[in-house]
Amino acid sequence: MRKNEKASIAMAAGLLLAATSAPPASADAGPISIGISPATTNAASPQMGDRLAFNTVIRNTGDKPIDGLIAWVSLVQIDQGKEQPIDLEDWSAHKAISRASLKPGETISTQWPMRLIQAGHYRVVISAVSREGSSLTPSPFADFVVRSKPVVESSRVLPVALGLPLLIGMSFIGWRRRGRDTG
Amino acid sequence: MTVHATIKAASESPPFRSPGNLNAIGLIARKEAGEIIVSPRGRGWLLAMVGALSGFSLLLVGSTELSLLDNAQVVYDMAGIVIALGALLALVVGSDAFAGEHERGSLTPLLLAPVSRRGILAGKIGGQMVAWAVMFLLSLPYLWAVGSTGQNLAGSILGLALFGTPVVLTFGLFAMGLGARLGNVRTTMMTMLVVLLLAASPLLIGPSLRQSTLGRWFDAVNPFSHAVNALDAMIIDSLGVAAQSIHLAAIVAWLIFALAYAVRQTNRLVR
Repeated sequence: MRKNEKASIAMAAGLLLAATSAPPASADAGPISIGISPATTNAASPQMGDRLAFNTVIRNTGDKPIDGLIAWVSLVQIDQGKEQPIDLEDWSAHKAISRASLKPGETISTQWPMRLIQAGHYRVVISAVSREGSSLTPSPFADFVVRSKPVVESSRVLPVALGLPLLIGMSFIGWRRRGRDTG
Repeated sequence: MTVHATIKAASESPPFRSPGNLNAIGLIARKEAGEIIVSPRGRGWLLAMVGALSGFSLLLVGSTELSLLDNAQVVYDMAGIVIALGALLALVVGSDAFAGEHERGSLTPLLLAPVSRRGILAGKIGGQMVAWAVMFLLSLPYLWAVGSTGQNLAGSILGLALFGTPVVLTFGLFAMGLGARLGNVRTTMMTMLVVLLLAASPLLIGPSLRQSTLGRWFDAVNPFSHAVNALDAMIIDSLGVAAQSIHLAAIVAWLIFALAYAVRQTNRLVR
């Protein structure tokens, strides 16, 4: 297993634990709130190769500045039997943001674009931590489904790919037999 | 191949366009094409070719990452492979054209036949053209099969005919010329295979990796690069064939150069 895959799994596992064990609005999450919504340009039923984007608004809900804020995107596949964290290497080049300081009431609006690589059911979540904070703040989940996109139709390819060699091969064998009979 | 005909001295060879010469050219072309297409060896090669195209098509069907590609990209890949296979066919046949005759001891009777050197060369080229035409026709079902959306399928067929044909002929002519000069099939074929491997590298190395100065120079002089770049523009970028005139000019220039080389080497053949 590659190093970044291990890191990705560890991150996603931690993320899921954090997301399921602590309600987003709880006090433990610290004075950060994260709202997430799909971009208006997203396709209603996206398929492989399409691009999606999610908009987030990270707000400092406390009365003190938050220093050293880092937010990042995580993606997990939730298909039964295929549950796994997704390595975002191919999906997105925009994986994290950072801010030196976020004043009380101040917000950061970010768009997280991604390209859909594989078909399946997915859950995207944005997480944030700060230098002084004691826990991770997750956004609500944003789920989406990616349809597979058949670029090559097997119903067209298979007859040709299997039929032509068979046809030439049979003519080859027939020619040899005829040659043997007449010779 | 031996042409059974009245033996005449080379100086008595008829003019290129004389009826007798044209008949002899047709005879050579038919025999060459027959050896490639009708003979068991020829059919074996055709079987291998359709096997390669079938294998590539089946790989495309089985690829789960393929959906990131446009259908046009798949058609472009298939067209590029057909040109590479055509060039391979041409260089193998071309390597055998004169060097093979020399090794089999049939070159002298051929040169003594009542047909000019250019006529012999034209007959050999005719045989190659027929073989390429058969290969082109066999590739059409594959282009149709992988071009499921129909996106620029007609453009791919036109591009294959327009740019693939001169590239294939260029490799065949260089192989013939080199074979005539070296008189050895193995050396000629090895040399031409190395050249083809280098020339066809744009199929493996994408345009972004050829953006260095050296890569751009290589693309500028390589006829294979011009062919695949023209196919790229026509099939993937949906540009018209008229916009590919620079590519066509470069490919035709190489074809003329290869023809001149083959004519020169054929004229220097000694009995």
